[in-house]
Amino acid sequence: MRYVFSNLGQGLRRNLSMHIAVVLTLFVSLTLVGLGLLLNQQADKAAQQWGSQLQITVWLCKADDDNPTCTGEVTDAQKDAIAEVVEENPEVADHHFESKEEAFEKIKELLGPEKFDGPNPAATADDMPESLWITLEDPDEYEGITSAVIGLAGVSDIRDARETLEPIYDSISALQLGALGTAVFLVLAALLLVGNTIRLAAFARRREIGIMRLVGASTIYITMPFLLEAVVTALVSVALAGGALAAFVYFGVEERLADNLGFIPWVGWPEYLNALGLVAIVGPVLTLLPTLLLTRKYLKV
Amino acid sequence: MIRFEKATMAYPGTGRPALDQVTVDIEKGEFVFLVGTSGSGKSTALRLVLREIRPTSGRVYVAGKEINRLAAWKVPRLRRQIGTVFQDFRLLPNKTVSENVAFALEVIGKSRSEIRTTVPETLELVGLEGKGDRMPDELSGGEQQRVAVARAFVNRPMILIADEPTGNLDPSTSVGIMKLLDRINRTGTTVVMATHDHGIVDQMRKRVVELEDGHVVRDQAQGVYGFQH
Repeated sequence: MRYVFSNLGQGLRRNLSMHIAVVLTLFVSLTLVGLGLLLNQQADKAAQQWGSQLQITVWLCKADDDNPTCTGEVTDAQKDAIAEVVEENPEVADHHFESKEEAFEKIKELLGPEKFDGPNPAATADDMPESLWITLEDPDEYEGITSAVIGLAGVSDIRDARETLEPIYDSISALQLGALGTAVFLVLAALLLVGNTIRLAAFARRREIGIMRLVGASTIYITMPFLLEAVVTALVSVALAGGALAAFVYFGVEERLADNLGFIPWVGWPEYLNALGLVAIVGPVLTLLPTLLLTRKYLKV
Repeated sequence: MIRFEKATMAYPGTGRPALDQVTVDIEKGEFVFLVGTSGSGKSTALRLVLREIRPTSGRVYVAGKEINRLAAWKVPRLRRQIGTVFQDFRLLPNKTVSENVAFALEVIGKSRSEIRTTVPETLELVGLEGKGDRMPDELSGGEQQRVAVARAFVNRPMILIADEPTGNLDPSTSVGIMKLLDRINRTGTTVVMATHDHGIVDQMRKRVVELEDGHVVRDQAQGVYGFQH
């Protein structure tokens, strides 16, 4: 073991420029992978709040509705009639009603509960409209259901999720695609660099390795320094990527986006931990896997 | 200790096998010279004993194990029973003499205290007492080969394989190395030495196995190199 650890330091120093190259490539690719996951979670969060692209939202009349065709609060009979129309429509995959309370909870979560507590709240549950959330079979086939529902009594307005969400989702998925696409190339580069590093290290140590094989050192003993080097580079890269992602969440999201664009629920620390977890798994796998494969090849025992 | 039974070794992509139906039996404690021209199959025979390669047909037994059936993970254990010395010494240039010898024990997980007692003992045995702190490039060729012998023997193997150990040494230095190998042989270690060196073989009067084009053409107790047949 003494030999293994003294060799670890030596190996890292001897191949320093190569290790730095691996660490940097891995750091950037892991950061992009983590960013991809954050964006994915961002899309999920937005979908929870706004509905997905497959959904349209039917706002039902409330007591003092802006829409003059509303004669007052939607009645249960009107809701039953609307539900019936929706159920019969072939374009509809699923639907559910959202009560005033549910809508109120959502807006509280989005804008922060402090605005709604106390003696002078910004709004109460009663100010919220009831709504009907319709999930479509196919997001492009929406005209039928929209025209069927719009004229019904008790319907105030229809929001086609695509109009508001499409640009948001499009930019999120474009960013995600960009991050993951770049990550794929960088991961490939990282794998090749890891492979090269091992080849160089095996070459630099070929005398020692030859003697170790000759005197009967076990395979695991011979490969251990290589595996440890792989673990160290992976850990450094994961730490750097974790730091970069944390900086992104803190400075990018919390300090900037969340303040300026408060109407969208933004990713925060719980989502960061998910991304960090993914990065912490992917990083070591990316270095250990090629190491295990290539040491078998280069250090044939 | 070492037995070849109709062992044939054909390297892939070559026409003629390097060893062809070789049958040789080497007893425990024997000293055997393996002679023959370059390409006669000497190195192949030694590589088979070390299980660096496996015979294409026939059987090779080393220390009671049939190497063809030996699982890969057991190979290191086999090699711990075999010491090896080469023409080019193969010392680690950045380690001292003691460290070079100790390295062979460290990498098979021997304890520090065992290493501390065994290494100086072995250096004394090979006639290098007091030179443990030297670097290999400060030593003469003969002394470097002694270090290599010490490294091969430090784990007290049952078999010592020497591939042209005197090939890089002048005759008088070679004699010293041969005396050392003879001394190791007398401790009960089986010694197999491949060589081109007529003088040494003639002088030692040990068993001689001669290979030619992969065949055993002579196996003679107390032989000489230049036997005409």
